[in-house]
Amino acid sequence: MITVEQKKIEEINTMTKDYSCLLVLGCEMCAAISFAGGKRQVAELAAAIRLSRKGSGEEGEVFEESVARQCEPEFIDLVKDKVADCDAVLSLACGAGVQLMAERFSDKVLLPGCNTTFLGVTEELGVWSERCVGCGSCVLDKTAGLCPIARCSKQLLNGPCGGSMKGKCEISKDVDCVWQLIIDRLSRVNQLDKLEEIFPVKDWTPAGHGGPRKLVREDLKS
Amino acid sequence: MRKSNKSSANYPPCKYACPILTDVREYVQLIAERKFTDAFASIRRQNPLPRVCGRICTHPCETACKRGQVEEPIAIASLKRFAADGLWADQYKAALAIESTGHKVAIVGSGPAGLAVAHDLALLGHSVTIFEALPVAGGMLRVGVPEYRLPKDVVAAEIEAIVALGVEVKTGVKIGKDIKLSKLSEQGFQAVFLAIGAHKDRKLGIAGEDELEGVVSAVSFLRAVNLGESPQVGKQVAVVGGGNTAIDSARSLLRMGAKVVSVVYRRSKEEMPAAEEEIEEAIHEGVKMAYLTSPVKIFGEDGRVSALKCIKNELGKPDAGGRRRPEPVSGSEFSLDVDMVVCAVGQAPESSLFADELKLSETGERIYVEASGSLATSLPAIFAGGDAVTGPATAIEAIAAGKQAAVSIDLYLRSKELPSVEKDKREETQALPSTVIERTRSFSRPSKINLSVDDRLKGFDEVEACLSEDRATQEALRCLHCYLGAKVDEERCISCLTCVRACPLGVPTVSKMGEISIDSFACQACGICVLECPVQAIDIDLDSRAKIFKQMETAMAGVQGQRPLIVGFFDFHGNFGAGDIESLRRDYPNIVPVMVFGVRRIDTVDIFKAFALGADGVFIARCPSDNDPFLEITDRIDRRVSYAGRLLEACGKKKEQLDICNMPKEGLVEKEWVDALIGKIKGMS
Repeated sequence: MITVEQKKIEEINTMTKDYSCLLVLGCEMCAAISFAGGKRQVAELAAAIRLSRKGSGEEGEVFEESVARQCEPEFIDLVKDKVADCDAVLSLACGAGVQLMAERFSDKVLLPGCNTTFLGVTEELGVWSERCVGCGSCVLDKTAGLCPIARCSKQLLNGPCGGSMKGKCEISKDVDCVWQLIIDRLSRVNQLDKLEEIFPVKDWTPAGHGGPRKLVREDLKS
Repeated sequence: MRKSNKSSANYPPCKYACPILTDVREYVQLIAERKFTDAFASIRRQNPLPRVCGRICTHPCETACKRGQVEEPIAIASLKRFAADGLWADQYKAALAIESTGHKVAIVGSGPAGLAVAHDLALLGHSVTIFEALPVAGGMLRVGVPEYRLPKDVVAAEIEAIVALGVEVKTGVKIGKDIKLSKLSEQGFQAVFLAIGAHKDRKLGIAGEDELEGVVSAVSFLRAVNLGESPQVGKQVAVVGGGNTAIDSARSLLRMGAKVVSVVYRRSKEEMPAAEEEIEEAIHEGVKMAYLTSPVKIFGEDGRVSALKCIKNELGKPDAGGRRRPEPVSGSEFSLDVDMVVCAVGQAPESSLFADELKLSETGERIYVEASGSLATSLPAIFAGGDAVTGPATAIEAIAAGKQAAVSIDLYLRSKELPSVEKDKREETQALPSTVIERTRSFSRPSKINLSVDDRLKGFDEVEACLSEDRATQEALRCLHCYLGAKVDEERCISCLTCVRACPLGVPTVSKMGEISIDSFACQACGICVLECPVQAIDIDLDSRAKIFKQMETAMAGVQGQRPLIVGFFDFHGNFGAGDIESLRRDYPNIVPVMVFGVRRIDTVDIFKAFALGADGVFIARCPSDNDPFLEITDRIDRRVSYAGRLLEACGKKKEQLDICNMPKEGLVEKEWVDALIGKIKGMS
């Protein structure tokens, strides 16, 4: 999933203060699972904005709405009337959702209520961690299912570096050295010999270094 | 897997087990909320004899209670008695039909079946006359059950309330003897209900039984005691039988002056049909138990009982009823020195009174009724129910028969039709998953407060004391709220797994494809999933989000103008209630108490709602850990408050405007604390 984090209310208040009629729009997929864009967070944020505005004497109107996914045109079209009625939309989706909203409603002010953080997993309730950077060329078969691009601070492909200490990365004792984990896991599955193959220089084109990426499936598109 | 929303079997087991489907869960919850008047009304609407049932009901509800799988069931009968004995019960007004139907109905017998049918028919606007053969009304409740279990004035008060509905009771009239059944229609009765009970004792069928002085039937003995006739009792008495009548006789005998009372029962204690607590109390009072023993012959001297010859049994193969058959051990005969033998080996109705007019059951013992469940006999317009039809059974079963008869008779009087009653399918209580049992916090059932044995044996004073308000409220809080817990709105659910991860009992489960199921029987309505669900796809019936908002809005609307205005969220489990809350309201008109089922479920949105409605401050009153059924999630309140506090500050409020009040063990939130909070909030402005 894509993890997102709600922006601080102070930043949101500054961002939205000029728009009297505001629509807070939730996104009930990744953003909701991240506790940032679900119906409850929409209600909470809308209540907080209203309270802040009450204090400043310029209350305006704050509406609440949610859609299943803001990254799909069909879903966001379902709220077009609500969007039309407000001065600005505060989107609680990831950056992709906010942008599709902006494209779809070209004359409306679109504001991001969240910061998009990473592609990751849920470790436990309230704890997520990064696992993938979407580099476009997966090497997990060679690294025991653990990604050195996403999880090595230096993105080393032929690690570890000299900063690996007792299984931890030199940047923080809270960060595991993924190369230590890779070596441990390859040992467990008897594939340590895989490390003898040297990774060539990585082609970063599919990772976006060749410009914005687009995926087209000729067999599916209309 | 039972799916939370699609289950039709959402009767709580207590209600399901009750022959009259009493909404136990509802009145237990009302007691927990200290709404005692409402609790009594809830009971009384369904049951015309709540004071009786609170004392002598065999409480199948308790056997079925889910709490029983954790430690001990809720003391439901004691709670019923508590609700029914209180002064608030006098405020109850039955919903009487506005117009009389003009139909006259005769009820034969004033026991629980007769009283129940009379009550229900009177409410429906029919004119009801009860004919009672004995000089007092109440049937077995009055002349069978001893006073130490069910005082006369309690029965009298129940009857009085039914008489107040316009029911006429004629005592000392034996229908079938004084007035023939067929004559009743000539007196203008358009329907008759026979509820004559089972007042005829079965015989032991052994030598000496008929001719010796000192051999008495249990029913006639108990009747004499209950009518104040002070029957003579022996010094050493054998009571033969193992049912409640035997135990009632034995315990009454001790009170009447018998020195040694032995209950002679042919099977072992496990098979004994008497209620276990009755057996225990009898033993406690000094009744001796001779299990696996059958009487063989009664010996006499000068025409009086002198000994009871018995034989020891061992248990053989189970009989048709499933109980192991007693088989005599040859050569094990022995004699008990007794001067009185009480026979309590079962009772039968005096149905012979009607043998020439009505069809009887195959054995000729009981009154025949049609299999449709309408309780119609072989004659038109004549119905029968209770022990007269079933043989000796419980008071609540008799009440159920009376209530069914009222439905049938009402329909018959209105349309000459008879209902076809579907037999209730009684299911065993679903078993709780073992993980849920392990994780459910145990709270002990209140021990009974009984008279000392010395005081008991001085007379017939009631043995068991009524629960106090505090003990009753505390006990009601043990209810696990079957089927009132979390419900998932499948359309809203996004399978985020939050409920699965947050539930302290591990109730929610998920399928491979992300379908969440919450077993609404196992769920205990802690509300944590309601609080945490990011898409608000879960709510609990017991205390829905909308209900809390509404309560807050209504309460706030009444106190605007008071400053500083403070909303306090109070937890039912704090075990303080209406009285205490009233004193809080009196002392602090600016504090708005909002009662919720578990303050752990108050979320940021609720807190902000209070501020949006004009509150200057909000506090959450957290019950002491002694009372908290969900200790493992209590710290979420601290985290929630600190999160909401930060958010409030960013919105221009002060963090002092939101606080947690840790409730003292007993009673209400401390004044010093409230004053300090008010001072803090005042100081800010």
